[in-house]
Amino acid sequence: MSFVRLFTGLALLLLAPSVIATTFTFTAIPDEDESQLRTRFDKVALYLEEKLGVEVKYVPVKSYSAAVTAFRNNQVQLAWFGGLSGVQARRLVPGSLAIAQGYEDQFFKSYFIAHASTEIIPSDSFPNLNGYTFTYGSKNSTSGRLMPQFFIERNLGKNSKDIFKRIGYSGDHSRTIAQVQAGVYQVGAVNYKVWETALANGKVDLNKVSVIWESPAYPDYQWTIRGDVDAQFGAGFSEKVTATLIGMKDPELLASFPRQSFVPAENLDYEAVEDVAKAIGLID
Amino acid sequence: MLGQVLKPSKQFSFVGYWKKVTLMLWAVTLVCFYFADTEIIALDPWSELLLIGQGFIAPDFFATEYLLQALWQTVSFALLGILIALILGAPLALVYHKPYVAAFCAFIRSIHEIFWALLFLQIFGLSPLTGILAIALPFAATFARVFSDILQQSPITTLQTLPHGTDRVSRYLYGRLAHVLVSVRAYVRYRFECALRSSAVLGFVGMPTLGFYLETAFRQGHYHQGAALLMLFIALIGTIPYWCRLKLLPFYFILAIWALPEIPNIDGALIWRFLSQDILPPMFQNQTFQSHGLQSSGMSGAEILSQFGDWLISLLSEQALPGIIATLLLAVAALGMSHIFALVASAISDKRLSGGVIAQTNRFLLLILRSVPEYIFAFVFMLLLGPSMLPAILALAIHNGALIAYLTVRHADNVAVSAHFNHKIDGYGYEVLPAIYPNMMALLFYRFEVILRETAILGMLGIATLGFYIDSNFAEIRFNGALVLMFVTALLNIAVDILSRRVLYSKNKGQLACAH
Repeated sequence: MSFVRLFTGLALLLLAPSVIATTFTFTAIPDEDESQLRTRFDKVALYLEEKLGVEVKYVPVKSYSAAVTAFRNNQVQLAWFGGLSGVQARRLVPGSLAIAQGYEDQFFKSYFIAHASTEIIPSDSFPNLNGYTFTYGSKNSTSGRLMPQFFIERNLGKNSKDIFKRIGYSGDHSRTIAQVQAGVYQVGAVNYKVWETALANGKVDLNKVSVIWESPAYPDYQWTIRGDVDAQFGAGFSEKVTATLIGMKDPELLASFPRQSFVPAENLDYEAVEDVAKAIGLID
Repeated sequence: MLGQVLKPSKQFSFVGYWKKVTLMLWAVTLVCFYFADTEIIALDPWSELLLIGQGFIAPDFFATEYLLQALWQTVSFALLGILIALILGAPLALVYHKPYVAAFCAFIRSIHEIFWALLFLQIFGLSPLTGILAIALPFAATFARVFSDILQQSPITTLQTLPHGTDRVSRYLYGRLAHVLVSVRAYVRYRFECALRSSAVLGFVGMPTLGFYLETAFRQGHYHQGAALLMLFIALIGTIPYWCRLKLLPFYFILAIWALPEIPNIDGALIWRFLSQDILPPMFQNQTFQSHGLQSSGMSGAEILSQFGDWLISLLSEQALPGIIATLLLAVAALGMSHIFALVASAISDKRLSGGVIAQTNRFLLLILRSVPEYIFAFVFMLLLGPSMLPAILALAIHNGALIAYLTVRHADNVAVSAHFNHKIDGYGYEVLPAIYPNMMALLFYRFEVILRETAILGMLGIATLGFYIDSNFAEIRFNGALVLMFVTALLNIAVDILSRRVLYSKNKGQLACAH
């Protein structure tokens, strides 16, 4: 590791006097379409800049864990997190607050979808999934992994490793739909909004794949802000950000997330998510 | 043990050395295939494959935002990564004969760029430094090894003819460096191509290179965009000889440094936190906290140690061991397949055997196949064949087989044939193959190290190799676990490296210079 040390030393010498962050920076990964991220969220940055009166910048990230890292390292002060990544971030940054969530996120849900060949009949009671192949979405996804795994293990009373013949992590909700439709996996869990958008866009062939179970509601995406922003940007800054987010009415901006509006939220709303993550062993 | 079997024995003297190596390789491959999970499961891939096909017929070059920036960033990370790698690696080559230097380099080299990037991401954040260093470190370690190999093989006769009393600098410059300059330059050029590929792949973990958009496009099913990006990527690599001229390099370097994205302030506290907290096993983290607060720690030293033991054992038995098994099965099966692919492909791309037009077409195909990242192959094969190990084996075999075939064909072109050459397969097997085979096998075994490293990327696609578990640990923000697994990966790579050297180096030491 002496290399790393040498380099960090060198880098520190070279870079220490460079720009010290005075811009308010945020990141967001939308749960549906991830194309044209910067083009879309630069508009959100512009809106925040107008309302907050400070320079605002958007940083694109690839994954929830990258978002959590950036938040923890104070490279971003505000982030649009999934339920689980928000919990992870707030545990790592004491004093940080969930300030707003999407209207839809108050009662979010997952759909379990199955290939037609499985002949599982859609039902309100939890289907018997023993022996099938199953795919989650991304490893860190709340609606594609955390909650589905919790419902599976609670309803079937076993560790999910012992239930399925094969478990996959497709990495993305759209991928989950594509893979179950292609029969790569027999059953999968997916964010309900992504499913409905795909259905509306004609990307789903209902003869091949359909919803077999809807999960109970749980809270999901939220805006989380660091606790030290008031010290950095002035007293009351955090409340100002909250008001600005909730006041976002432009449909074009909201469509980037995509949410119909933002409503207030607090850390307590996500206690259930944290408990589930602990129960599954995703956090200690 | 392998070496002993391969030694020429009296009973089987009619079976040559290379026949034995080949048969052994195939036998081991078959065993791995038997134990590997190669079940074919896919009911209905055609509609998705049709969409992918449509994407390639009508690629959309305008769907990607900031495309030029991404292209330039890909080049710039590669350039700066190589530059730093040369600065670090060249001096190391001079002391590479010391065992601890060699071991240190082997360790650095054996960790994939993606994992270096994930690690640096914790320290430097989303900074260009993360991407550049992730390329520079493993490449520096590779340079050190290869340059030292090249130096060893260069003649020392010039040194002896220099006039008495020549100063050391001149002796070194004229007597040693002048001999190796050509091969060093050729090698650096080849590594630049590798660096470009690595730079693009770093986009998968969030660096702003082509891979950032490529991975998103394929993952989300935007195939028109994905196809366009893939074509651009292949074109970028295919046209290196045209735009990467020695004279232009200084200009590029200046441009690369000038156009670097803003480097965020580096926080020494982050580095310290990473080293003193994040990477420690959970029970030690608490310990540090408590001793700082001078509170009575709830646990005795023995308790902490036993907890640490439990933690380590469960990590090793639940993640490292299955990961090692899957990684080895996958890599060896892919190695055998690569061998067969390279053998067949280099034969059908030989002008003397299949005629000019067909050979040229095949060579062009090889160029494309070796340029496409394994990730994309695995992605498509997964739709076709289902989520077993088979898609990954095929992806690795095609990519690496094509690369070996490409280099072997170039070698074969320089092999002179006799006047009796009959332009048929027996003529090829009798005159050309024996000449090129040792070099091809050397390439193949060198690639094994690469294949082993590349299983990391496929792990991110969901195949349960060590890379999969490392990725999971990073996703769950468990850097301590990730670090232990990275260490295990490095040890595995080193062990395999030692073994493959035993099989090969003793036999044909002289031919490996061009093999890397």
